[in-house]
Amino acid sequence: MASCENPENGADALMPRTRKYDKSKICVKCKERHGNIVARHTVYCRECFISFFTFKFRRALEPYVNAKPDGPRRKALKPTGNLLIGYSGGIGSAVLMDLVYRHYVHPDSTIVTSEGGKAHPRNERVWEKITVCYVEVSDALPGTKDRTTEIQNVIDQMDGVEFLPIRLQDAFDFAWWNKRGFCPSDPTLGADFSDELLQVQATLTPDIPPLTALRLYLASLPTASALPTAVQTLVRLLLQYTAISMNCSHLLLGTSLTSLAISLIAGISQGGGFHVREEAQEEWLPNCLDTGRAVRIIRPLREIGMKECGVWAWWMHLPIVGREKWHWPGTKPGIGRLTKDFIIGLEKDYPSTVSTIVRTCGKLAPKGDTAGKCVICERPVQTGVQEWKARIAIRASQDEQATWANSSTMTPSLAPYLCYVCLTTFTSKGARAPPPLYSDDSDLGHGLSPLPTWTTSSRLFRAHGTLTVTEDITPDEDEFTVARKLPRSEMRDVVKEFLLDE
Amino acid sequence: MSQSTLSIKVEFGGGLELLFSNQRSHKVSLPSHVPTAPPDANTTSEQGKKESGRPADITYLMYWMRDNLLKEREELFIENGTVRPGILVLVNDTDWELEGEGEYVLQDGDEIVFISTLHGG
Ligand SMILES: [Zn+2]
Ligand SMILES: [Zn+2]
Repeated sequence: MASCENPENGADALMPRTRKYDKSKICVKCKERHGNIVARHTVYCRECFISFFTFKFRRALEPYVNAKPDGPRRKALKPTGNLLIGYSGGIGSAVLMDLVYRHYVHPDSTIVTSEGGKAHPRNERVWEKITVCYVEVSDALPGTKDRTTEIQNVIDQMDGVEFLPIRLQDAFDFAWWNKRGFCPSDPTLGADFSDELLQVQATLTPDIPPLTALRLYLASLPTASALPTAVQTLVRLLLQYTAISMNCSHLLLGTSLTSLAISLIAGISQGGGFHVREEAQEEWLPNCLDTGRAVRIIRPLREIGMKECGVWAWWMHLPIVGREKWHWPGTKPGIGRLTKDFIIGLEKDYPSTVSTIVRTCGKLAPKGDTAGKCVICERPVQTGVQEWKARIAIRASQDEQATWANSSTMTPSLAPYLCYVCLTTFTSKGARAPPPLYSDDSDLGHGLSPLPTWTTSSRLFRAHGTLTVTEDITPDEDEFTVARKLPRSEMRDVVKEFLLDE
Repeated sequence: MSQSTLSIKVEFGGGLELLFSNQRSHKVSLPSHVPTAPPDANTTSEQGKKESGRPADITYLMYWMRDNLLKEREELFIENGTVRPGILVLVNDTDWELEGEGEYVLQDGDEIVFISTLHGG
């Protein structure tokens, strides 16, 4: 757009404008109609865009509906349980909800056609019960507004789906937890976030209101960047436990390709390299349940960019409620925010790069074995994380390492049960502490932070009597790369190799 | 054939209307050619230096909207002389990338849609 020269004088040859589409303005599919939308260099007319869009959605979801993943030939869709949809209020979740509705609740014959030429519009319901769950975070994040009613109004327009609003503090609501029949949880257990070992004591008063407990937990975080990470984990686990309590075999999230690239890069730069696979798709078995029922977490928009979602939302007249930013007031934008700005800017100039990031991350096979699951985020813990962390921790003296190794016989410590991301979220301090998160910062916990219900009830955490520290583990270079925190200045280098010649 | 003003329908999607008095649809009349004197002194700094007298294009419309409709936080709408990344633009239901983006010359009766995708997912 820099050049405004008249094309006749040949200036275009000297300074070509970056064109966002490949060859012509005619749709690549039907090769007849004038294109309406450019999706990563490819031109589609409106009709062909709609079938392309629904195809991508179905391809990312339907092979994973039956318990055994299907091959290319599709059998009838018979999930073993109900469906839970996580609704955030953002465009992705609105588009996801719309697609589920048009495909599996009230099949829309204008868009749902069967492939293979045979016209038999499916009209059987795939999931017996579909619930839309919204996790309201406004009580915990200063300056955000409660959107429950607005979202309720949107979902109420869709018959055949149920709306279930929950609140972030439910993660600390032991009554909520026990009502759902999970194994008993101990509300008196808290962890000392100011201590790198995250020592655990059973000295909290058992009747701390859930919102107070949540606020104590968030206010104990050492950095502003830790806040969105911690909130994201609480939201995800609340959705997962809600799903399992409602006999859901599937949990769908409205993460688009763009959002997935953001969470992958932000995750890796915060030490989450070991979880790249779970960011895309995950078969989750709760730490605290004996039944062996798993929830399959799927992001059916993971191949569809935010731009395409925006166009779909516009063409389908979807109401977008919007969502709040999870920001620590009075602090600079955190890693998540910076990554988002960076990826969205990148996507504008290099539309293919974002899908390359996601595809490349999909090929990453994290090194190292899994040593159980984290008691906070319930994702795999990489073996050796604690030993490695102990070795590099500046304040870790010989004595402290000894304490660590013997912690099970002394004061129990949370650290050995955490993945690297959660360990970092709780213990990695910034150059200076953020301002108090809440103005009425009363300390009910005597320095202890309450823990989510699933953490204190985790069999792993309760039953593990011993912690073994293998002295001879030396993390190799690759593990170091995966786990290391990346400063903002290096972020561009991380994705540099993904930058394509457009 | 040449008109002195154009009647344009401007619509907002994806929550972008919040920047524009929370009104989703606007009917606007603007000069068919960029006036010699910019409507706002600020305009001179960036786009105003482009030849005045040129036919009104989407870039001109954006700055016109900034000066006449935008209620707050310009940086959430315009960045580096174009729409902020994450905002997509449709010209009569067609991606503006197929129509020359900001250089698309407005026609009387055009419908221009600005959609924000920044509300996340
Ligand atoms: Zn077509
Ligand atoms: Zn974790």
